[in-house]
Amino acid sequence: MRDIVGDILYVDLTQRRAWREPVAPDRVIRFLGGRGMNASLLWELCKPGTEPLGPENPLIFGTGLATGTEMPSSGRTTVTCRSPATGWYLKTSAGGHWGGELKYAGYGYLVVTGKSEHPVYLWIHDGEVEFRDARHLWGKDVRETDLAIKREIGDEDIQVAAIGPGGEHLVKFAAVMFSVYNAAARGGAGAVMGSKNLKAIAVRGTGALRAAQPARYHQVARACYESLLADSGTAGLAEYGTSGSLNVVNELRLLPSFNFQRSHLEDAYPLTGQYLVEAGYLKRRVACFACIIGCHRYTQIVRGMHAGTFGGGPEYETLSALGSGCGLLDTEVVIKANELCNLLGLDTISCGSVIQWAMECYEKGLITARDLDGLELHWGNGPAVLEMVRRIAFREGFGDVLAEGVKVAAEKVGGDSYQWAVQAKGLEQSRVDTRSAKAYALAFAVNPRGPDHLHTETFAEFGLSPEARALIRKITGDEKYANPYLTDKRPEIVRWHEDCYAVTDSLGFCAFTTTALYGITPELMAQVFSAATGYEISEEAIMEAGRRIVTLEKCYNVREGATRQDDTLPWRMMNERSPDRPDPNAINSAEELAAMLDRYYALHGWDPKTSWPLRSTLERLGLGDVARELGALGKLPDEREG
Amino acid sequence: MQKVLVIDADRCTGCRQCELVCSYEHEGVYAPTLSRIRLVKFEDRCLNVPVVCGFCDKPPCEDVCPTGAMGQRAGQPYAVVREENCIGCKECVHACPLGAVAMHPRKGVAMRCDLCQGDPACVKVCAPGALRYEPLDAAVRQKRRARVVALGVLRSPEEEEC
Repeated sequence: MRDIVGDILYVDLTQRRAWREPVAPDRVIRFLGGRGMNASLLWELCKPGTEPLGPENPLIFGTGLATGTEMPSSGRTTVTCRSPATGWYLKTSAGGHWGGELKYAGYGYLVVTGKSEHPVYLWIHDGEVEFRDARHLWGKDVRETDLAIKREIGDEDIQVAAIGPGGEHLVKFAAVMFSVYNAAARGGAGAVMGSKNLKAIAVRGTGALRAAQPARYHQVARACYESLLADSGTAGLAEYGTSGSLNVVNELRLLPSFNFQRSHLEDAYPLTGQYLVEAGYLKRRVACFACIIGCHRYTQIVRGMHAGTFGGGPEYETLSALGSGCGLLDTEVVIKANELCNLLGLDTISCGSVIQWAMECYEKGLITARDLDGLELHWGNGPAVLEMVRRIAFREGFGDVLAEGVKVAAEKVGGDSYQWAVQAKGLEQSRVDTRSAKAYALAFAVNPRGPDHLHTETFAEFGLSPEARALIRKITGDEKYANPYLTDKRPEIVRWHEDCYAVTDSLGFCAFTTTALYGITPELMAQVFSAATGYEISEEAIMEAGRRIVTLEKCYNVREGATRQDDTLPWRMMNERSPDRPDPNAINSAEELAAMLDRYYALHGWDPKTSWPLRSTLERLGLGDVARELGALGKLPDEREG
Repeated sequence: MQKVLVIDADRCTGCRQCELVCSYEHEGVYAPTLSRIRLVKFEDRCLNVPVVCGFCDKPPCEDVCPTGAMGQRAGQPYAVVREENCIGCKECVHACPLGAVAMHPRKGVAMRCDLCQGDPACVKVCAPGALRYEPLDAAVRQKRRARVVALGVLRSPEEEEC
């Protein structure tokens, strides 16, 4: 199973040294691959108190177990490190085609530590690693960097992961960009890469991957293929992309608008995937590696003041963060802002979030055009949004304040601005109004990296498809719980999705295939693992591995000092009622959250007072070594017999 | 009627399922470099074009082959590479005007599409429908029709009344 797992490539940029180590089979069985293996590596390599932007913070790239094979939609790469935005655990992942290429070059994992004296890029090809001068690339945007590397090495089939000026300037929400337009966006992994003076990682391989049981693996791939195509949502996702759902989200009063002051807009149509098609901006539908859905977009503006704009996206999150959130319904400005973020290497969610927070500050008079070098940052001012994106990436003027993320920016601006800094744990919330989606609320509160949907996508709670309703019945015993306004059974729904999402990420599958569409079931994933490795695993056992991964990620934060107080939601979600849904329950009150948390910790076997996992829980999951370390630090809760 | 592999590049999303399943069918492993169909990617433009053997009526690869390795196997209707005869001279690679013949990176023999002996695996996994396997006349008919529609000749009855 060595080639399908791939070796670990360690790179020390300080010493300019690279070496490889195989992954122990036992570790594969415990942590599966990708995200799980990364969690295990980070726990081992990132000592408590490591400075996120210091040379010791390991930047870990992990491909999914199935990445590089025909397994549909399994090409994702997970990036893991200590987050410079939050100081907590960070896993962030990207699609594109880089992960498969790393596998063909002989590696499943890349662990980068240290800091180069001057900008470099890594050139990894068929087992070889070269440290190449990148001084001529520093300052170039992501697209220029990608093209320049392909040109100078002389191979157009090279895959590149790169940072843009955002990462170079250590913007706290700088992304690592894969295959030009696929972002490992959240939490500032791009700033960690920039802090190491690492501009890019170019990869090319001619190796071959063989499953332990090739014929069975091929059969499982065919079953996954058929099951995924049969899901009632697949065709729509292919046709209109992620933003095809924006209209539905708007109707459900979930579309964050005007910095979460509104959750519904009368005319959001210009921000929908349907409009991108109808108005002719969509030029091509694009797929990540081995993906049979192909939800990624390629858009282009041909005429007008933004003519010449082209590239990947925009996705739903971007259209909400840089569009509705900023009170902006101008499709072309959002397409342009999306291109800017891609090229500068910024997370569109956080970038849009800090700008809309600043807009609210501007509207309320806490900052003025004088603070902004003349920029009139009122709602819906498109040119001002575009200029702000650029200033953030280069840390010019007020852009330098916003580049620190909304939590730090609110501390600087002061007043009541923390109330509309829609963040928790230091991360800006992703684009769903959790006041009208209670499983999302719980999931966002307990997410170790902060309030977003990318550790636990509980889309099923809306019950929008037969598959979603069937899943809710499977988890709770009754379809009536497919109701986002109920708090009942939300902990059970979150718990199932956490495990499933961890397995999904670890095998390299896209979360759309398991927790937005439902074609790839845990049972199928158990088959994928078994056929790939030759180690037979059941549905229950693979979901338990998912729980092991989720628990280890939690333990990382516990080791760094996290307690129950950190499992919380943004002030606005907890203290202001949603104005667009006249239900008194349209708020994430402290009482409501506390009740869900109690149940959630109980389901996990975590102590309700501290939120720390119990020793018995850790031992049951085979994390006895983790328990010993936490015990030595005094971070195991008291546990009485019986 | 002879069937051909038809490529509709406008529909290609660049997922590489065709390459992966091709390498599996022929070699039992996953490796785009072992695939007989190859994707040409222009990544910054998200443009993807599959390239495969054109099944020429007068195949230059077969004309230049000094050992007869490029050709049909006796009793089989589809072209193959008779690997036991191939000496790895690469004349076929240079002769192919499409870039559809490559060298096997490990065996040192030529590789080209053999249509999976009449049931091409790549077509079956092409979810967006960029690859089709159909009779030549059907392919030409569709292409002709699509071309005429694109010219704007077809108008709705309401439009035509005006």
